[in-house]
Amino acid sequence: MSLAHPDAMRSTRPEPTRTAPPFRPDYTTPRMRRYLLFDATGFLYLLVGFVVLRAIWALSSGSEAWAALLRDFQNPLYVIFHALCFVSVIFVGVRFFRLFPKAQPPRVGPLKPPPGPVIFALLYTVWIGVTIVFAAILAGVWP
Amino acid sequence: MSETETKTFVVTRFDPDRHAEPTTQSYEVPVRSDWKVLDALNYIKDEIDPTLSHRWSCRMAVCGSCGMNVNGQPKLTCKDSLAQYGDSVRVEPLANFPVIRDLVVELEGFLEKFKQVKPWIIRAKEKAVTEGTYSQSPEELEAFRQFSMCINCMLCYAACPVVANEPDFLGPAAIAIGHRYNIDSRDEGAHERNQVFRGEGTVFSCSYANECSEVCPKHVDPAAAINQAKFMAVLDWAQSLVLPRGGEEK
Amino acid sequence: MAVKHLLLRLEPIIWLLFGQGILIGTILLTGWLLIVGLAVPLGWVNVEVLAYERAQTLGGNWIGRLLLFLLAALPLWKGAHHVRSLSLDYGGLKRDAVLAPLLYLVAAAGSVLALCAVLRLPEAA
Repeated sequence: MSLAHPDAMRSTRPEPTRTAPPFRPDYTTPRMRRYLLFDATGFLYLLVGFVVLRAIWALSSGSEAWAALLRDFQNPLYVIFHALCFVSVIFVGVRFFRLFPKAQPPRVGPLKPPPGPVIFALLYTVWIGVTIVFAAILAGVWP
Repeated sequence: MSETETKTFVVTRFDPDRHAEPTTQSYEVPVRSDWKVLDALNYIKDEIDPTLSHRWSCRMAVCGSCGMNVNGQPKLTCKDSLAQYGDSVRVEPLANFPVIRDLVVELEGFLEKFKQVKPWIIRAKEKAVTEGTYSQSPEELEAFRQFSMCINCMLCYAACPVVANEPDFLGPAAIAIGHRYNIDSRDEGAHERNQVFRGEGTVFSCSYANECSEVCPKHVDPAAAINQAKFMAVLDWAQSLVLPRGGEEK
Repeated sequence: MAVKHLLLRLEPIIWLLFGQGILIGTILLTGWLLIVGLAVPLGWVNVEVLAYERAQTLGGNWIGRLLLFLLAALPLWKGAHHVRSLSLDYGGLKRDAVLAPLLYLVAAAGSVLALCAVLRLPEAA
């Protein structure tokens, strides 16, 4: 059995008897594994941020640098990386958007947020809408 | 008449006078199909091993005393039906808490975090009794009612990976109750509590595991409270940048 | 201790950046990854759609620069915060005093570089 931090939930007053160190929650359940995966997507987001940064830098450096970037993006390793990023972006989006409506406070001054299902629908509408528009522009389909 | 079958209970045992560290002990218990985990533990204590120590009280999931880890998950043992488990059931003390003995954990750490968030109505000036009561509409009550249903069973603390790794973290129940008072229309102490929320026990340590809400037997949804509290703590922080309250901000 | 107190003071800002990293970063990254990361390299879409002149036109106006900046910078903050969180999940409280500032500095540095990069972009024709 794994142990938690030795001071987890420890009181500041001296303990009248010796206590055993706290057990850690079970990290092997499907729910906890999904949570740890959610955290682990941080690595991919860090990397993809720097890849986009590289793309902007290449674009600002001239046509040869840009062409070299596009050639690099055809490398199978880059394709796999981007595919993994795409899957993790969907995973993160679905998980975060499920939490987002209940994270809105009941009132901010005189303003009340819309009901949870409305926020949920708005988030997905924006996500899908922006993706379609952005992809259409990048793909030369629109305007 | 419910049928009986025999299940094996693997129970954590720890006596600080006799054990260097916790061990386990197995008990064969003839259980009835309608039994809860607590019924089996009480059977063990009454009929097999009177030295087993565990907390329980109301037997109807309102007191919060009987929280334990059953097959790795925090449960109220008076509510947790045995029918869902196979032939072997593992019962351990609540995770994340120091273990006093067997299935009994030290609660004082939780009470200290609880007190930090000042779980009472704070008023700049109390109304005199002669001035009458505080009025609150059904809508105002509904805004915080869910978060007031906490029975302090601490299953949320046992489930939380942040509590496991960051001892200063206030934790789900404490933040939920603090938030409950922050959004209570009668309360005027939100700024005081938000300073606690942004202090050592910072609400921002919460990493969206949502385990607290998954295990809560009273559907308090502490994860909702924590994330609402983050939002409101940021608003409070931003407000204090623009309108500093004399000498209070660090 | 000083590092911990500094992080506590910066926490509202870090949380806001992390939150937008998830929200806006996720919303924008989906389309980018679909086309630039997958469709063009795999030949589902003609590579000419990302020809230099066209890419320059798209990226060289103020909307393009803003979107590119957000696409690069926001994921860095989400990434940094979650890598830190993962480290803490696995008992990393002691190393947090070093790891957290390092991760956030990386995100900050990346954000500054992203700003410089978008400002370097030539004006759209």
